[in-house]
Amino acid sequence: MNPQDLLQLFDERAIEAVRPLLALSAGLIILLLSGVFDGLKALRGPIVVATLLFGGWLTASNFVTQPGVVLDGTYSADRAASAWGLLFVVATLLAWLFSHHYYAEDERPFQLEHDVLMLTTPIGMMLMGGAQNLIVFFVGLEILSIPLYALASFRRSRARSVEAGLKYFLLGAFAAAFFLYGSSLIYAATGTVQLAEIKAIGIHGPLALAGVALLMASLFFKISVFPFHLWVPDVYQGSPTPVTALMATGTKAAAFAFLLNAMFMLPAKAAVLVAVVALVTMALGNLGALAQTDVKRMLAYSGIAHAGTVLLVVAGTLAGDPESGGALHAALFYMGAYVFTAAGAFGLLALLERDGERFTSLESLKGLAHRRPVVAAALTLFMLSLGGIPATGGFLGKWMVFSSLVRAGLIWPAVIGALLSVIALGYYLRVVIAMYMQPASDRDAATQSVRGASAMPATLAAGVCAVFVLVMGVLPSLFLDRLP
Amino acid sequence: MDQLTLITFLPLVGALLVLLTPASQEKVLRAIALVTTLVVAVLGVRLYLQFDGASAALQCAVDKPWFVLPGSAIAVRYKLGVDGLSILMVVLTAVLMPTVILSTWGHIHKRVKEFMVWMLVMQTGMLGVFLATDLVLFYFFWEVSLIPLYFMVGIWGGERRLYATIKFFLYTLAGSLVMLVAVIALIYHFRTADIETLCAQAGSLELTKQLWLFAGFALAFSIKVPLLPFHTWLADAHTEAPTSGSVVLAGVLLKMGTYGLLRFGVDMFPAASLELAPLFMALGAVGIVYGAFLAMAQTDVKRLVACSSVSHLGYVVLGMFALTRAGLSGSILQMVNHGISTGLLFLLIGMIYERRHTRALDQFGGIASTMPIFAFFLVFTVLSSAALPGLNGFVGEYLILLGAFQAKPLWAIIGVLGVIFGAVYLLVATRRVLFGPVTHEENKHLEDLNVREIGLMLPMVVLAVWIGFQPTPFLDQSRGSLDRVMKKIELARGAQSAALEVQPLTTEEVVR
Repeated sequence: MNPQDLLQLFDERAIEAVRPLLALSAGLIILLLSGVFDGLKALRGPIVVATLLFGGWLTASNFVTQPGVVLDGTYSADRAASAWGLLFVVATLLAWLFSHHYYAEDERPFQLEHDVLMLTTPIGMMLMGGAQNLIVFFVGLEILSIPLYALASFRRSRARSVEAGLKYFLLGAFAAAFFLYGSSLIYAATGTVQLAEIKAIGIHGPLALAGVALLMASLFFKISVFPFHLWVPDVYQGSPTPVTALMATGTKAAAFAFLLNAMFMLPAKAAVLVAVVALVTMALGNLGALAQTDVKRMLAYSGIAHAGTVLLVVAGTLAGDPESGGALHAALFYMGAYVFTAAGAFGLLALLERDGERFTSLESLKGLAHRRPVVAAALTLFMLSLGGIPATGGFLGKWMVFSSLVRAGLIWPAVIGALLSVIALGYYLRVVIAMYMQPASDRDAATQSVRGASAMPATLAAGVCAVFVLVMGVLPSLFLDRLP
Repeated sequence: MDQLTLITFLPLVGALLVLLTPASQEKVLRAIALVTTLVVAVLGVRLYLQFDGASAALQCAVDKPWFVLPGSAIAVRYKLGVDGLSILMVVLTAVLMPTVILSTWGHIHKRVKEFMVWMLVMQTGMLGVFLATDLVLFYFFWEVSLIPLYFMVGIWGGERRLYATIKFFLYTLAGSLVMLVAVIALIYHFRTADIETLCAQAGSLELTKQLWLFAGFALAFSIKVPLLPFHTWLADAHTEAPTSGSVVLAGVLLKMGTYGLLRFGVDMFPAASLELAPLFMALGAVGIVYGAFLAMAQTDVKRLVACSSVSHLGYVVLGMFALTRAGLSGSILQMVNHGISTGLLFLLIGMIYERRHTRALDQFGGIASTMPIFAFFLVFTVLSSAALPGLNGFVGEYLILLGAFQAKPLWAIIGVLGVIFGAVYLLVATRRVLFGPVTHEENKHLEDLNVREIGLMLPMVVLAVWIGFQPTPFLDQSRGSLDRVMKKIELARGAQSAALEVQPLTTEEVVR
């Protein structure tokens, strides 16, 4: 390819499509430079926020103008990709706001590195969400994953954080290798890595199927689906809580965005298999969560269960959901509600944590309704939304996932899935019980609620999450009417 | 603003007002809650007076766009309306609440603010369930109304409150989520969420589909009622709930189950109801007797009344699935009656508990001599609950047994046995509490009921006598709607017997 062609490739439409990526990258560089000059240190926060807001605004404008598939069919900035892109930006912004007051004094000097790493992740996620090409996806995956490995072990003085980083890195490396190997097999079978061309040629023969299986294994690893979910509890619990929030919401959403684009590779016969995998994931996640005494770890298991729930839409599509875009709508709305709910829940935990892991235990939440009634009320709202109770965004998400199954005729998976989500309420309610129905132990009452008062950005972010969760539940038309 | 929206959401507004009032101002909090529920009660009575029972149509209907399900373009609308099946339930919910709020003066002393908030939110949820005429909206209110009771039992309940509240919540939720699948299937099949349209069209489904959908709905409602064998959560929830929680639970929440069976079972799937009627009549009749036996064995008065609830709701189901005119009328009236009598019983038990701090039967005896007014009300209520002619319970049970006898005499006979057992456990318990010598020192100096306690029970007492002597105006309210339902049932019955007659013909053909 000569330079001339390259220029032609970057036509106006392409520039428009990648504007959000460029804006985020530019902000990233400015942020790095600000670390060099002492006088600019105070600007670090505003730079991060401005970059994300600007990136988000450009993504939103792409949502309206829809530049479509560009760069020789490798990257797409259509409505769906832009909607996902907005979610990624929101997830990053929320995670960053929660991280603002999170770290202890000894970790503060590296706050710049932390912010830089965090600001890198939405670039990777957007590439993943818009990828129409296996290699582009892989590049996005790495841009996302490598900062996350570092972020997971960011509290380097704590063994658990380091363990989380190492575990995530080792298993993530395996997953990446799976993806590459799978892609190469698919390339060998079809002669292309472009999704559109693979779709035209079709997946035939054992070689291509093996490639698809490896590809799916890697994606299932990222979205934490059985049998690739075992890393989640340790990594989520060990990582700094804002990073956990980012992993639970952003990473998962990005992998799902690509999974929906790539699910045509799965044979229709796999519908039942996918449904079973999804249900097993839900069961393992919910049963695992039921046994936890630490809320952060419990939310990690609940994240596994939610991944299983979203995976059900893939089963629905494979089984012939007559509604085109049904899977996309359901997954987008579900993940949208989940981003606000889970980020809000993890964010409130980060707010309560103050120091060390002790304050994420169920025990320490006892009597919270007296000490901090607003935090308790918000956390209750998030728990109800995670449980899919009406008047919250979680309900309609669940509704759409199950309706995709019902339309496709998969009634039994829908019924079993519904019953499995009853288990989930069992542990979400435990959090509510601890906060409202059990008295605090004296020790906690004395030590808590010192730091939270100063954490304005985190409080604001949690408030925004709560508002969105409620609005998505009560006035869903604001979002539903805009679905691609 | 239209009447039904006002009636439904006024309690929610009250809840917001309570929320904004400082928690230390207990008197103001209670006053806000009381005034709100009183206004709702007045609105409810006005609605009742305006309502035309001869018409089968939805009245006072509200219809506004809410949201559109993406892709399929199925409109989910904010639709409220009242018809003969729901009017009595709406009025009961509206009228019962001031009594409930007044009763909290006696037993809710901690976290008053939160309690009032949950009570008012609950009222919005319950009214929404009865008034919603859009299936999604109905489901919305149905699940929302779970949460307040969960908090009420969990925070203000007795010793085993956490166990009871989780059991109640998970039990009901399991049913609700299975119903969710049925709701989705129904909505996507007919591509509408409008209950009226669905009711008109669902009868055209083939029988197997109707049966499955009916099963999905009926499971949720049977758990809520609760019908045998799903009744175990009720005794725990009732026993642990604070008095006012028990009154709402017995008075209204359980009726959501029977109301659901009526609207989404009998009215929506007449053929399936006909098919499964023997099963439900059996469950109802066995529930009557089994609940009565359970009640006889109890030593805790509150648990006794909880078990009697199982028995009384058995009548409602028995009458409903007799699928005769008398049975249906009776079961609708019995829903109200049960709300009045059992509500009163729970109130009285709460009052004696506030004085004695025990509910064990053997701790009482001879109370009639120390608390004559209390004794009068208790005897009155027990007689109403045991269906003494001249009081409300009699009319309902008589109609139900009559209807059941027309359909399946066997189950009616078993139901009559239940009437006798019911009188036995109620009268035995009354004797042990009120009469005989005063055996316990503490019972010698009990304060009799005060003006507030008498006042809060009076409306229900008046209603009990009124329904007992003049049931016709109450029964007439559901006349139009029941005509419509009966027409559907007759059609389905005709189709069923036609199918039975056709079958031998086809076998003959095969033989030929």
